[in-house]
Amino acid sequence: MPKFQPRTVRVPRYLAALAMLIGMTSVAQTACAATIDEIAHLSGPDREKVLLEGARKEGKVTLYSAMIEDQALRPVAAAFRKKYPFLQMDFWRADSRDLINKTLAEARGRAVIGDLVEGGGVSQALRRAKVLQPFRSPMLAAYDKQLYDPEGYWAATRVSYFGLAYNTRLIKSEDVPQTYDDLLNPKYKGKLCWSGSGETGGETMFITFIRLIKGDEAADDYLRRLSEQHVITYMSSAREAVNKTMEGECGIALNIFLHHPIISARKGASVAPKPLDPVEMNASVVTLAKGSQHPHAAMLLIDYLLSREAQEILEGANYFPAHPDAEPSKMLASIIPSKIGMKTKFVSEEVLFKERTKSLALQKKYFGAR
Amino acid sequence: MSDQVERAPFRSAASADRTAFAARLMGWSPGALALIALLLVLIVPPLFYLVKTSLYTSEFDGSFGDFTFEYYQNLLATPGFLAHFRNSVVFALCSGTFAIVFGAVQAWIVERTNAPFRRFVFLQAVISLGVPHVLYTIGWLLLLGKQGPLNQFLMHVTHSAQPLFNVNSMVGMILIEGMIWTPLGFLMLSAVMRSFDASFEEAAMMSGAGPLKTIGRITLPLAAPAFLALFLLICIRAFEAFDIPALVGSAGGVSVLSTDIYDSIRHELPPNFGQAGAFSVVLMALVIGLLQWQGRVLKSAERFQTITSRGFRPRVMDLGRWRFVAAALLGFLFLVLMVIPIGMLVITSLLPFYDGLRAETFARLTFENYHVVAGSPSFRQAIGNTLILGASTATIVCLLTAGSAWLAVRRFPGGALINQLATLPLVFPAIVLGVAFLQLFVNLPIAIYGTLSAIIIACVVQYLPYGMRFSYAGALQISRELEEAALMAGAGRFATFRRIVLPLMAPSVSTAWLFVMLLSVRAVGMPILLAGPNSQVVAVTIFDQWTNGQITVVAAFGLVWTALMMCIGLVFHRMAQRYGVAVR
Repeated sequence: MPKFQPRTVRVPRYLAALAMLIGMTSVAQTACAATIDEIAHLSGPDREKVLLEGARKEGKVTLYSAMIEDQALRPVAAAFRKKYPFLQMDFWRADSRDLINKTLAEARGRAVIGDLVEGGGVSQALRRAKVLQPFRSPMLAAYDKQLYDPEGYWAATRVSYFGLAYNTRLIKSEDVPQTYDDLLNPKYKGKLCWSGSGETGGETMFITFIRLIKGDEAADDYLRRLSEQHVITYMSSAREAVNKTMEGECGIALNIFLHHPIISARKGASVAPKPLDPVEMNASVVTLAKGSQHPHAAMLLIDYLLSREAQEILEGANYFPAHPDAEPSKMLASIIPSKIGMKTKFVSEEVLFKERTKSLALQKKYFGAR
Repeated sequence: MSDQVERAPFRSAASADRTAFAARLMGWSPGALALIALLLVLIVPPLFYLVKTSLYTSEFDGSFGDFTFEYYQNLLATPGFLAHFRNSVVFALCSGTFAIVFGAVQAWIVERTNAPFRRFVFLQAVISLGVPHVLYTIGWLLLLGKQGPLNQFLMHVTHSAQPLFNVNSMVGMILIEGMIWTPLGFLMLSAVMRSFDASFEEAAMMSGAGPLKTIGRITLPLAAPAFLALFLLICIRAFEAFDIPALVGSAGGVSVLSTDIYDSIRHELPPNFGQAGAFSVVLMALVIGLLQWQGRVLKSAERFQTITSRGFRPRVMDLGRWRFVAAALLGFLFLVLMVIPIGMLVITSLLPFYDGLRAETFARLTFENYHVVAGSPSFRQAIGNTLILGASTATIVCLLTAGSAWLAVRRFPGGALINQLATLPLVFPAIVLGVAFLQLFVNLPIAIYGTLSAIIIACVVQYLPYGMRFSYAGALQISRELEEAALMAGAGRFATFRRIVLPLMAPSVSTAWLFVMLLSVRAVGMPILLAGPNSQVVAVTIFDQWTNGQITVVAAFGLVWTALMMCIGLVFHRMAQRYGVAVR
């Protein structure tokens, strides 16, 4: 019986060398593939080059934002695409609470779409859920220290001032409340409203603010008396509370974004803003998702959002830019506290989140289940 | 000798049962087994995750924590739970009554009288099916609001300084929900009244009873089972309604169980899935109870059969001069139910902002909102997504239920189980199904959460019972002889189904397709929890834009969508008539 002789396949040397080269390159690439943490903390003269190379390969970036779509998101997206024509920028506009819920669900479902999440009150909940990636941007060198997180989890894109909006047909200017305590006047009973569903602007944030400026004990008494005013709660955004005021459904909206009634009044609506001293101030921030599929492009977008160019676009949308060199629109001068002789009380992301539970308990106690 | 006697091998009772079960199972066709497996895969996992959600604490990121009964224990301790439960019951019963009463009035005038212009009521009913509920609600909120035209009129007439009607109340909720369901009530009751045997009423009138007495003593009692079945259906849907309590009731402090579920997920941080799950299970238990009651009512319905083996003809009652009053009543209802709310939306869509209706409002009319809608990629994407959602859901439901209904009607092995499974999703309120599928999708190893496919799967499950209802009725009408002839000619079961049964079922299947499509594109309660940025659908976009204060753009977008849906409905109806599968 013939013995089986295995056939020997002779591999040409050049093919063997090529195979080895490919293998080594793959290993090298795997070894060199940067983690999202490394990408988010890049520094040095090659930083932008590395980000651009990586972004070209990624091809797109998605921003989840609470900014108004037509006046802010679209112009920012258009300008970003013009600067980086190889990058497709998608965005999705929603309220902060929806942004948080969607981001959490995406992280759980391992289907992260939003590379960046931008809005007021978004950072701490997402940080607590461990779905955020800290980052560093050279743009922050120009920013005030209270407008970015020292650990890198958030950076402010815009600031907002909060106060009252009132219907000028229903409430005469001399009858408008001048202080927070004036809101307890029985003549406003049934005429007050606020948003019940916003993370910033509305019921919960107002309760936190009152606790911060009055202390817990005095705040409890204040809120008990305010509950006797039968404040209407709209389960919608602070913007909608302003709309209801314009319609006359409500006489005075509490804790709304002060620039909203100014924008509407310019179009002819019967509504006006009324800041109260101290003016509540908060920052909307940008964060980076830990599961981002496009980290290089995301970092380019963070740099852009924090740049003076993007901040000036936000100024054109009647937002208050966070960048110190970008001046807010002249139209908003009447509500800038420093220009009208009022103090501000800044409510940071951390404070907003930390005080949330107690404020919600007070909300349920005085304004909750019916 | 006894050892040589052959004894039969000993078999236990359990073994005999297993053998009998296996024999029965082997008698089931592969098609039936495949359908059962598919239905189980669609229905059981979300139910499992829903119950699990209610029995485990939620970590901050929403993942499951420790086993607990606290959410059920907390139910009664939750402030307002009993009040919200009571609100749900009152809301459901009263809006059901409203829809039945007005639907019945319309149905009776259209089917049993000679009132002129009565056929236009069908047009109104079909148009209303194309209007998203959330858009309709917005129209009514604008009309009935404190500064809306109704209150302005009442204040002017009564010289009152304060608005007289508060739409953000239980009464407002009942009114709007009732008006939304009236067209469907009309469509279903008109089908019932069309098939009455007039001889019962003729006998009454020949005995001296006038029209009113005949209606009260003959017509209404005969229609009682149909009324009750429809009333229960509307109550069940109102029980689980989400958009009206959220948009109308919450501003007036009126909460119901469905808003409790939504609030637990959306307004608490982290989302309180456990509490939402407990609320959902309670709501489901209530719906199961109502469905059981409806089942008992329908079982006794044969006592009220009016279609018998004798030929019958529907008789139209001559109202004399009163027919013009009847026509005026129909016209009034058409104005109230359709023209006025749509008209309010049209005006709002032409305004740069809405601050009530006054003389100076009409000086600000502009088409700017329509330009925004036309130029918005997100609106276009929502429309595209919704059309895909509607067509896909309807097609999949019809494919599943056509075969399921035939197996069930012909009592093939497995048919009864298939019927039960296909009808089971009725017990899931939409918001509950949203919670269930949310939890299922985020726990799957595949990344499906936030995609349009996820919403399609959930909608297929939700609307299976509706498709089954139409397909079952269609299969029921087909005589066995036709299939037996095909079988005797050598056709197999599948060929018989494909070439004989399916074409004969075409009218009911096409009705099911249109109905499921129209229902699925209007849904808010479920897609609102499942939609991602690239899978936004029209109803959710309208809801989101409204709550974010974009009222004038919402009105424009909603009307564009409504016009599109009406065109689709009309085209479908014409095509169906042309190819002989008239939608009835």
